[in-house]
Amino acid sequence: MSFSKSAKLGGFLALLLSCISGAAAQNAAAQTTVADTGAALKPASVKQIDNVGLRKALTPSGGKPLLVNFWATWCEPCREEFPDLVKLDAEYKGKIDFITISLDDVSDINGPVTKFLSEMKAGMPAYLLASQDDDAAIAIVSKDFTGALPFTILYDATGKQAYVRQGKVNIDTVRGELAKLLGTVPAAIPAPGYR
Amino acid sequence: MFRKSAAVIAILTLFVFALSPTASNARDFAVGTTLEDFSLADTTGKMHSFNELKGKNGAVIVFLSAQCPVVKAYNERINQLATDYKAKGINFIGINSNHTEGLEWVKSHAAENYKFPVLIDKGNVIADKLAASVTPEVYYFNAKNVLLYHGAIDNDRSGRAPSDLYLKTAVDSALADKPIAKTKANAFGCSIKRVEK
Repeated sequence: MSFSKSAKLGGFLALLLSCISGAAAQNAAAQTTVADTGAALKPASVKQIDNVGLRKALTPSGGKPLLVNFWATWCEPCREEFPDLVKLDAEYKGKIDFITISLDDVSDINGPVTKFLSEMKAGMPAYLLASQDDDAAIAIVSKDFTGALPFTILYDATGKQAYVRQGKVNIDTVRGELAKLLGTVPAAIPAPGYR
Repeated sequence: MFRKSAAVIAILTLFVFALSPTASNARDFAVGTTLEDFSLADTTGKMHSFNELKGKNGAVIVFLSAQCPVVKAYNERINQLATDYKAKGINFIGINSNHTEGLEWVKSHAAENYKFPVLIDKGNVIADKLAASVTPEVYYFNAKNVLLYHGAIDNDRSGRAPSDLYLKTAVDSALADKPIAKTKANAFGCSIKRVEK
């Protein structure tokens, strides 16, 4: 083999190796991106409950107030208020229990429901109510609930209804209601003397 | 003294306001209440009164929305009921009270989906009067405008397997001069988008 032939073959091999390693690097980068996205959008876990499960879910435990939000992916105001609910969950973690209950169709539990909750980075325990009797389910929640979404209800530590809101919540109002129950100053409202 | 009285009045006024239910939360149109006649424009602007639209045996008012998926899931059932009961002297009247839904949208949605008139409840006056809060939500009145049934159409939003046909059972009972076993039933649905008052 002449030098020039060897040089050509060596160049070709170097180019081939370079292409292979470049493709591998690109592949690795792509995998990293997918892995990163996967970490950021960790799939939410949604538990299906019936009316018995609903009653249990609405019973405060551990001496803490319980905040509950009823929502659905098809409910635009529900989607709009969700970022505020996630904020509230972060602010009051450990001080209250906070759960969300979806009224989506049960066939959507592993599709649009988990996708939306993952996108919202919602960490609160999530349920989907598959009720055989909506009228009975609504009666379990509150006499003030007509079934219109969104609906948010706050129970004190003994299970007594402390606050309800049919329609989008005002985050500061909820903070105020939580402050009443917890005996604290609401996080976002400046204490007297700061104004 | 005057300042003290003024302060007391102000506090009492505040207290009364705090206790007053908001329109959306008011629940004062109970079964057995008689509805006074009212008039609303349809999607073409033509005015209609309730008494003019009702049938010889009464009427069903159904609060609708052009965008609510729950309403969409019920449209076929609503139309079937409207057709079945028109033949029995009970007319369906649709009402859209959502201020977020434009007239053209509501008009085309009504034309595509319903075989009965849809009225525009500007300022949600009738929704407030009847304390309606969700779509779809129905009110069944007899020929004397007395409310006999209020609430859900049936117990299955999806329509796959409704086992309790609340509205149908109520209307059939009334037409047969029998007592209505269940006069009220709630259901999950879209909230009526009211104007802020």
